[in-house]
Amino acid sequence: MNFKHKYFFLFPGLFVLIGILIFPIIFVVRLSLSGWNSYNPGLDYIGFENYIRLFTDDPRFWESFFRLSFLSVTTVILQYVIGFALAHMVWKDIKFKRFFRVLFLVPMMTTPVIMTVIWRTFFHESLGPVNDLLSVFGVAPKWLTDPVIAKFTVIIVEVWQWTPFMFLLLLAGLLSLPKEPFLAAAIDGASPVRKFIYVTFPLMAPISIGAIIIRLIEASKIMDTVYVLTSGGPGTSTETSSFYIFIKGLREFQMGYAASMSFTYLIIMIISLTIIAKVLTKVLLKE
Amino acid sequence: MDLVANNLSYKPDDQYHLNEVSFNFKEGNLYTILGRTLSGKTTLLKTIAGLLTPDSGEIEFDGKNFLKIPVWERNVAMVYQQFINYPHLNVFENIAFPLKQRKIDQSIIKEKVMDALKSVGLLGYENRKIQELSGGQQQRVSLARSLVKNAKILLLDEPLVNLDYKLREQLREEFKNLFSKGLADETILIYSTTDPRETMELNGEVIVLDEGKVLQVGPAKEIFENPNSLKVAEISNDPPMNIIEAKILDNHIRFEGIDVEAPQHLSKLTEDGLKIGLRSSDIELGENGHEFEVELAEISGSETLLHLKRGDTKIIVSIEEVLNFKIHDKVKINFKIGRAYAFHADGKLASSPFGGLNG
Repeated sequence: MNFKHKYFFLFPGLFVLIGILIFPIIFVVRLSLSGWNSYNPGLDYIGFENYIRLFTDDPRFWESFFRLSFLSVTTVILQYVIGFALAHMVWKDIKFKRFFRVLFLVPMMTTPVIMTVIWRTFFHESLGPVNDLLSVFGVAPKWLTDPVIAKFTVIIVEVWQWTPFMFLLLLAGLLSLPKEPFLAAAIDGASPVRKFIYVTFPLMAPISIGAIIIRLIEASKIMDTVYVLTSGGPGTSTETSSFYIFIKGLREFQMGYAASMSFTYLIIMIISLTIIAKVLTKVLLKE
Repeated sequence: MDLVANNLSYKPDDQYHLNEVSFNFKEGNLYTILGRTLSGKTTLLKTIAGLLTPDSGEIEFDGKNFLKIPVWERNVAMVYQQFINYPHLNVFENIAFPLKQRKIDQSIIKEKVMDALKSVGLLGYENRKIQELSGGQQQRVSLARSLVKNAKILLLDEPLVNLDYKLREQLREEFKNLFSKGLADETILIYSTTDPRETMELNGEVIVLDEGKVLQVGPAKEIFENPNSLKVAEISNDPPMNIIEAKILDNHIRFEGIDVEAPQHLSKLTEDGLKIGLRSSDIELGENGHEFEVELAEISGSETLLHLKRGDTKIIVSIEEVLNFKIHDKVKINFKIGRAYAFHADGKLASSPFGGLNG
């Protein structure tokens, strides 16, 4: 269509798009090529020095990145499994169905930061109720101060907070499924378990892929939970990429270096999520 | 192996979906359940399949209490009036589904699926997606799926009703061939339909169902010739049998000023409230006939259905010809009165031209 004034009408949208998306990305790329820090604020040009430093001399970034991969993949898998189980449960005709549907959504209605503060109190080594209860069995895990256990504490809180979201997406998916294939499957000799494996699960594949990808994107931004719960500690054992970038950029004011990390992170995320989406589609949809 | 039901009742709301239904189905036979919509046909089939549990009554199969066996262990196959298939599987996988639920060798599955595809005329379609098929083809797939497992009980719930006219004729023909090809050797085949023509063509044992109640059981020919009540006569004829309130006096049937000589099988009935039943095909146009007024003329296929009126009497006449009539036209018709039925005031058959309850 040839329309003289189309750019005039497109302008408001384009302006916002350029302002909040394209400009920041370009600016980050430019910033990553500068040595901007607290002594030397300004957009000078130092070439690829920041990237060379990142790839050759910063194991902490890569450690935080692999830690993030571990945390996000584990939490999303757990959220998917638990969310699917809960959704499947209230999808069937059970008693108090409506009550459970609302109950399972409660964590989502709370403010993550506040809930994390409460969880931190729960898991406090000597004052928290969790260890109070566990003292009956004579154990007192260091929920927040043991480098290994702290990771699982983060996973528990993340799973608790975000499973409802998965539950909601999957329940909506289940409710939208046609009823007929289930009738047919029963008559075709499929027991309830086989019915789930051969009918429910494959029919849910497209919705599952969407839900998993959405949650993976969200989970890889994990920051507030870590910040409040452990502040990345003990040491750097729960530090994730975004938290490390935050420390470098907004605490130590190494803006240029933080920008180069952000941009690298963005590229890695785009590539890996594309691959994950492809693999999931191939495995679940057999296409 | 007989399928025996005793007093099946199912009443989920204030209406009976099944009301004391009993039957005794023997293996190797075809049973047709004939009834109007909402008469309980689907409920009955679902009960046999195990998708519904009746409120009371028993079903026994092979001497075992069938109601205690869960659906997936009943070895029943069912084709629904909606074309139900698995949307996430292709044609081959759809048909193989029931076989995969048992531990059967891949090569045997392949062979059986191919056989089934062949018998429904869908060879070459095995890799198609279900959504890419037409309604008739989708129904063939679900038919193949029900054939492939060699179930002892095969249920067909109005399988042709959602198809267009041509496909219906074609598939009905194929069904007949399939059923007669010895498929039914040890299978109990139960076919439900609203269409009397289908019932006659399939020519099995017919169960006439209405409001959840069995009205009559018998061979198709018997149902057609000697319907035991007005209701059955209505259900088993399309268009429904014409019912005329008449009086028989001195060997003459009188109604609306018309006077025809009563045939022998009706001559002795003189009671009040008698109803004469005459099929729409047993009335013909004739120069010296009785005058009726046209209320409506429908052309369906190659026949014309005339809705006629005289006084308070309304009748339908079907003529094997395409004819054009206008509303309020006057036509003259003759009754093949020798083929008339008579029913008592309570709806029970009084006399039929084929000898039922004669005299």
